[in-house]
Amino acid sequence: MIGYYVKRLLSALFTLFLIATLTFFMMRAIPGGPFTREKPLPPQIIAQLNAKYNLDDPVIVQYFSYMKGIATFDLGPSFKELGLTVNDLIKQGFPGSMKVGFVAVMFILLFGIPLGIISALKQNKAIDHVVMVMATIGVTVPSFVVATLYIYFISSKISWIPITGLSNPLAYIGPAIALSGYSLSYVARLTRSSMLEVLRQDYVRTARANGLSEWRVIGKHALKNALIPVITYVGPMIAAILTGSFVVERIFSINGIGRYFVESVNNRDYTVIIGMTVFYSALYIVMVLLVDIGYSLIDPRIKLGKRSGD
Amino acid sequence: MRNLDFEFVDSSKKASKEQTRRSLTYWKDAWRRLKKNKLAMIGLVGVTLIILFGVVGPWFMPYSYSDQDNRFTNIPPRFEIYAIADDGYVFLSSQYNLILVSEKGELLDKLVRTNMDAINKVYTYSYNGEDIEVDFKNRLLEDDGGIDLKVTYKGVTSEYPTKTVSNKTFVWGSDNLGRDMLTRVMYGARISLTVAFVATIVNLIIGVTYGAISGLEGGLVDDIMMRIVDVINSIPLVLYVILLMVLIDNRGLWTIIITLGSVYWVGMARLVRGQVLGLKEQEYVLAARTIGVSKAKIISKHLIPNTMGPIIVAMTMMIPSAVFTEAFLSFIGLGVSAPMASWGTLANDALAGLSTYPYQLFTPSLAIAFTMLSFNFLGDGLRSALDPRLRKG
Amino acid sequence: MSKILEVKNLRTTFFTHLGEVQAVRGISFDLDEGGILGIVGESGSGKSVTSLSIMGLVDDPGRIVEGEILFEGTDLTKLDQREMTKFRGNEISMIFQDPMTSINPAFTVGNQLREVIMAHSDLNKEQAHERALELLRMVGIPDPESRIKNYPYQFSGGMRQRALIAMAIANNPKLLIADEPTTALDVTIQAQILELMRDLKDKIQSSIILITHDLGVISEICDKVIVMYGGMIMEKADINSLFANPQHPYTRGLLLSIPTNVTGKKKRLVPIEGSPPDLMDPPSGCPFSPRCPHAMEICLKKAAPLFKISETQEASCWLHHKDAPEVKGFVKVEGDLS
Repeated sequence: MIGYYVKRLLSALFTLFLIATLTFFMMRAIPGGPFTREKPLPPQIIAQLNAKYNLDDPVIVQYFSYMKGIATFDLGPSFKELGLTVNDLIKQGFPGSMKVGFVAVMFILLFGIPLGIISALKQNKAIDHVVMVMATIGVTVPSFVVATLYIYFISSKISWIPITGLSNPLAYIGPAIALSGYSLSYVARLTRSSMLEVLRQDYVRTARANGLSEWRVIGKHALKNALIPVITYVGPMIAAILTGSFVVERIFSINGIGRYFVESVNNRDYTVIIGMTVFYSALYIVMVLLVDIGYSLIDPRIKLGKRSGD
Repeated sequence: MRNLDFEFVDSSKKASKEQTRRSLTYWKDAWRRLKKNKLAMIGLVGVTLIILFGVVGPWFMPYSYSDQDNRFTNIPPRFEIYAIADDGYVFLSSQYNLILVSEKGELLDKLVRTNMDAINKVYTYSYNGEDIEVDFKNRLLEDDGGIDLKVTYKGVTSEYPTKTVSNKTFVWGSDNLGRDMLTRVMYGARISLTVAFVATIVNLIIGVTYGAISGLEGGLVDDIMMRIVDVINSIPLVLYVILLMVLIDNRGLWTIIITLGSVYWVGMARLVRGQVLGLKEQEYVLAARTIGVSKAKIISKHLIPNTMGPIIVAMTMMIPSAVFTEAFLSFIGLGVSAPMASWGTLANDALAGLSTYPYQLFTPSLAIAFTMLSFNFLGDGLRSALDPRLRKG
Repeated sequence: MSKILEVKNLRTTFFTHLGEVQAVRGISFDLDEGGILGIVGESGSGKSVTSLSIMGLVDDPGRIVEGEILFEGTDLTKLDQREMTKFRGNEISMIFQDPMTSINPAFTVGNQLREVIMAHSDLNKEQAHERALELLRMVGIPDPESRIKNYPYQFSGGMRQRALIAMAIANNPKLLIADEPTTALDVTIQAQILELMRDLKDKIQSSIILITHDLGVISEICDKVIVMYGGMIMEKADINSLFANPQHPYTRGLLLSIPTNVTGKKKRLVPIEGSPPDLMDPPSGCPFSPRCPHAMEICLKKAAPLFKISETQEASCWLHHKDAPEVKGFVKVEGDLS
């Protein structure tokens, strides 16, 4: 088992290394360099900037100093907002993004899974149809539509729900709904189909034949098996939610990294874009790694990197 | 006396009693099962409609996606009209432009505003030399007493709208440059669907080639190729799409297509590799080989039908997610450049004026949702129709 | 001898959206206390649905539409699911066909065994653990102290079936239903499992219903046999009469299709031509008639009643009717034709 964790960790580090290298050379590939603007800067200023950011060094030297920066969690300066570093932006935005992401993940787990189970147990009954219609709508409506509809119909009509920012607990509802909508619906659908699949399994019949109460048959024997594929999805999903809230943060004006990321995209602030990409990727990889380790503790069948779902 | 019931029957009569189930080819069977699935058929109809909407729709429209009429900006699909004596009807837009309309709802002209009394909230417009006074105080009050506007023309004041009519000139309203929303959404369909279809085909080609090579070669080649896939798979891909879009920095249709196509093939590659690996070891393939069936026939009789199903399902599911991703990119400002517009761009453009002109967001959003829903229904239906394990009944 | 189980005119139908599948079509049989009854038939003959009907485990959209299942005088068809749980795994228990899928992969063997024990007794966890160890020993699992902590994936197929048998006999059931307990196993393991069942039959003194498509297995441990086809009983007999003197063309066909070397002569295997009936739209009359070499007009119209051949043998075939033409080996029976 220890070997498995070490192997996973090494492969995560290797992936990170590849990402860092790839992004570095992407940055080099930008035509005209990072200081290209619509109104060209005077050449001496560009020269000063180049000197300041070591852009005159040979590529290989730059590469090593960049990699050293990443290894020491220093993602470099912003080229547009002089004086600010990528680290500063992350520090400013991280709490907001995490808070909204956490609420969204809670929404998904607390509503998605139970709704899926209820739907499976009441298969083809009215409640199943209602849940599944909602879930289908949920996976088909993009988050920016959900967010704008929420603002238009709810928070702009009800005065005590804030429209933007995270000033009070109620302000989290909109962003969390918009952020979780797709995954919540997907988890509900996945839980339902997984539960239905498991309920057809022979071992569930064995549990019934052994005279166990229906509560135990479903709550113990069916549930644990039904949740395994759900967890497989939920792992990367949590990572994606915590890192993927660009649009929602922008619409709700939340000071999160997603918003800064979109702003840096619009400003073509290349170092910030790349620094944030590295940061996001690292966060994502670490999250997936953590979830994988947790997962291997739940499913007894996982042995040395062999995953039942693969 | 002989009892006729106890005569032996001959075998031909028995044979007719024995039930046999008609055997169907894979595709006929799949089609038969798909037809039975109501949701899948709704999806198929939806997909057909949305394609017709984008491909054929613009031919029937009198406007192009870039035709502007700056007299009629931000006109909603439905509005309240006020009679001005016997001389026609007017409607006050959210930008306080007074628009002359016909009783049916055709937009005729924008009337010139001659005076703005911002303190008393009365604007004056001129029509055929006569003044029209529009008093919109009540519109801004919490308690408007049931009255919205007071329109005074030739000394006659109408406090209530004559009726609510649908916009006959711009059925889905117009945008902030006076362009027809319906036409824009139709062209948006063209762009969004083109991006989705072409990106999916690019994905398909890369994914199938990569997966097939990996699966067929096996051994070290397979190991290396799958390690690469694992690495790509452990990266949040949307970031790389954004990064590539930023770096290429050219807002053409092809940039988006190539970017999407070059990133999202990993799932398809895995799927195809898995299929090929599984199929080449299947007993029936081995059996066919041992009895000397030619390779071409094995591929056409065994491999293709069994791989096509999952590939088609994956493609059906990839199209809506490409629409989704494209909308997302456009929404954060990385979409096709103006005056072209995809659905995502239209939604993004509408965001600023959401509280005043919500219809500008609703139509492209509905189009996205409708497309996603149709493809999802169809994909789900195809999945169960093409799944060989479910082939019965 | 008293009857532990009496099944009367049982009818179980699946109401699928494609139509009704009549899996069991009015069968009656009984089982003596301590007896071992074999039910034989090919796939789709209704034998498994019969056993699931007894257990009250017919899944949606299936339903028992008619008949009684009297277990020690209690009609199980009248009980609701909660009342049935008191019987299942306690008074009546069941062993299933495929040990690979019939045991829950997510829990240890010990966990699942203790759960069954504790569901039907007042034992605490430690006592249940002791009992579980005892059961594993009984079913011949070596080193039960460490095996009890294993997950099913660490067990081989034969070992899993042993563990499932341990669960089934955990509460000394009065009736044990084994639904093709050896079909999914290797031949050598099959023999071991059969040996184990024969051994346990004496130890726990329960009555057994053994369901199989393999007449060889039946001949090894059963004392009575029911032959099912198309959801109906074709023949009921004690084991000796059935093998020595089959009285239904289907039974004959079955016997001719088993490889045998008893006589020392080399014989050709005779397959039964045709395929089993589609129960979605079963043929009127005898279900076997389309494949029967001796089919008569009446066979196509009406299913035969059970003709009583002897005290221990009954067969549902019109050839036993007095008006039927003579066919070698089939006895004529005086009986009422209603």
